[in-house]
Amino acid sequence: MRFAITLPLSLRVPLLVAGLMILMGLVASQLVLSALNRAQVRQLTDLAEIEFRALSTSLGPYVQRDDIWEMFDILDRATLRDGSFRPTAAALIDARGRVIVSTQPQFHPIGSNGVPLIEQAIQLDDIRYEPASEQISVRNTVAWQGRPVGQLVIDFDVQEFAAERNRALWTLLLGNAAAIMVLSIAGYAVMRRVLAPVRHLTREMTQPAGTPQLIPDDMIPMQDAELAQLYQTYNGLIRAVQARTAAERRLAERERFVSLGRLAGGLAHEINNPLGGLLNTVDTIRTYADRPDVVRNSAELLERGLKHLRDVSRTTLDLHRSGDGSAESAARLSLQDFDDLNLLIRPEIERKAQSLDWHIENGMSCCDCLPAGPVRQIALNLLLNAAAITPPGEELGLRVCPDGEYLCLCVWDSGPGFTEAMRPRLMSDDLIEPGGGLGLRLVRDLVKSLGGTIELGLSPDGRNEVRVRVPRKEEQNA
Amino acid sequence: MSGAGVTRRRLLVTGGAALAATNLVAADALVPLRFGLTPVFLDNDWQLLERLGAHILEATGHQVEYVQRRTYKEVVALLLLGEIDAAWLCGYPLLQHPDRLDAIAIPVWQGQPLYKAYLIAANDRHAEALTNLVGDVHAYSDPDSNSGHLVTVAQLLELGHRPESFFARSFFTFGHRNVVRAVARRLAQSGSVDGYVYDALALTEPDLVAQTRVVWRSEWHAFPPVVVATETRASPVVLALSQALFDISRSEAGRDVLRMLQLDGFVRPEPDSFDSIARLMRLVSERG
Repeated sequence: MRFAITLPLSLRVPLLVAGLMILMGLVASQLVLSALNRAQVRQLTDLAEIEFRALSTSLGPYVQRDDIWEMFDILDRATLRDGSFRPTAAALIDARGRVIVSTQPQFHPIGSNGVPLIEQAIQLDDIRYEPASEQISVRNTVAWQGRPVGQLVIDFDVQEFAAERNRALWTLLLGNAAAIMVLSIAGYAVMRRVLAPVRHLTREMTQPAGTPQLIPDDMIPMQDAELAQLYQTYNGLIRAVQARTAAERRLAERERFVSLGRLAGGLAHEINNPLGGLLNTVDTIRTYADRPDVVRNSAELLERGLKHLRDVSRTTLDLHRSGDGSAESAARLSLQDFDDLNLLIRPEIERKAQSLDWHIENGMSCCDCLPAGPVRQIALNLLLNAAAITPPGEELGLRVCPDGEYLCLCVWDSGPGFTEAMRPRLMSDDLIEPGGGLGLRLVRDLVKSLGGTIELGLSPDGRNEVRVRVPRKEEQNA
Repeated sequence: MSGAGVTRRRLLVTGGAALAATNLVAADALVPLRFGLTPVFLDNDWQLLERLGAHILEATGHQVEYVQRRTYKEVVALLLLGEIDAAWLCGYPLLQHPDRLDAIAIPVWQGQPLYKAYLIAANDRHAEALTNLVGDVHAYSDPDSNSGHLVTVAQLLELGHRPESFFARSFFTFGHRNVVRAVARRLAQSGSVDGYVYDALALTEPDLVAQTRVVWRSEWHAFPPVVVATETRASPVVLALSQALFDISRSEAGRDVLRMLQLDGFVRPEPDSFDSIARLMRLVSERG
């Protein structure tokens, strides 16, 4: 049953047609054979009546004269005749049930009991024909001058009738089989031809690699209104998908900038804090310009503050460049990237009075085959999301460690965890509801592009955790 | 005159043969010779009859008209009534009318004008004598046949049996060949048959005869003769027929007839030719 269901449409229809034709062929054959059988019975009855009438007329006077030889000779000559419906044996039985004469005297000698012969025979006016039989035995009364003188039993050879019936049967079978085969093959060819545009559409929709493409207008079968509508509907669908994909891409880009904006706030705070100290140092230098030691200390302090500002600005610049496709975005992942992330996220953490646990295992040099930009973006978005859902004063953290052939990034927090609305953004490719941002969906897309996996679970100390595993092999990052 | 008559007759004979060959009958042709036959002895072989007629026409100038009846009795009646001129009969009907019928010629078979009667049975039957056939369904040829009836009845009488009760059932086939067929087909378990016909059939229909075997052979009897009515014994037609039969080997057609009948020729019967049959008749009439 399962096999039948999974057959292609181009096979199912011809097979269905073949099945219906077989059914019709069987019914038609049965009707033909029944009609043939009735015709044969009528023919048998007519021929038997002629035979009985002729033999009865010939036998009558000899029965009356008890002329054994003449009776035998008449019956014997009848059985030696050629023909499709001829007597093969005959016996004449008297009123007492004794054989007067038989053409098979070795089985039914003169004077033997002829009652079984009569009992086995069919009355002439009630001839029935069993298709399987090659011989039928028929009986009728022989009368002479109006007086019954005996029962004549004749065995008729009906092999020719059976052969005719068999020939008709085989002709029907072979004819039907040939017709079914020809029509099935023709049906298959027609269905293949009819379904060719549908197959083409199916190929387009189920391409193993790449995305479905629009079908050019010159390939749309305009002569078939239904198929043309199907093709146009398909093209409309593809255009809608392409538009949605483009919109998602734009939204993701915007989300990146939103993240950047949020970071910019923290960055301003980070720059603003040392700026007060630096301005104070400048005042100190100006006030104590005649004191070299004070100037020197102030200059050192000023240098450290400016270096900090330089680091903050460079990190922000690197993050901005990570998604722009430039040569720098192809830079490889290093420990410096995680230091930069720490620097970037810390202002947001401090703003929400949260505490950040930062644990980067040694041996990260083995990960330098991974691209820095996507990994930093993944970690940054997850950390920002953790900071957003974690209440003030609570903890969150990042743990990065190699795991066999993979690099494992775990972001945990002590917050309430992912809501039902957030979970599909990270864990499925379903269309996302409007609103709520695309940061988590961007994480999912980046992880997929790296050939990695995402899991939601609990950290060893029982906190909510997002675990991202990306393969470290060079070829999987291509 | 006599010489001229012979010449004229020969001319007529020659012309008649020629006309017969072209199916034309001359207006002054001699009256036909009516020849009686039964299937008892001679089967209805048209080729044989045509060659016999050709020979008689050639020898006598008479066309032959064959008159065929089923039994000897019917043919004898025609002969006695003068409806036919001659008939090929058995010695037994001849002797039933000794003062009305005469034999004019006897065929010669295997060098002598004699034959035997056979009792036959199925080839798988273990019977060595007539007495082994008791209780059989028995096939006779003709009630007036010597070999096909009289010999068997007489033999049963000689052995002390009652012919009417020795066999469980008997019937007549009115033909020696039919007797052989009846026994071969097992319609009859035994039969009385002319030994000449049986042996001739063994050559022409060996498959039929092979299904039977001879249980008993009789003594020699006179071969079935050609018979005429006594009052026509000296008529020109009968005399011509007699001579034609004696001279049968002289014509091509006559030799064909002899070959087909497996006979050597015809001879004039001797006064005692039918004595053996007469003895059987006396036996039957005395004890029957």
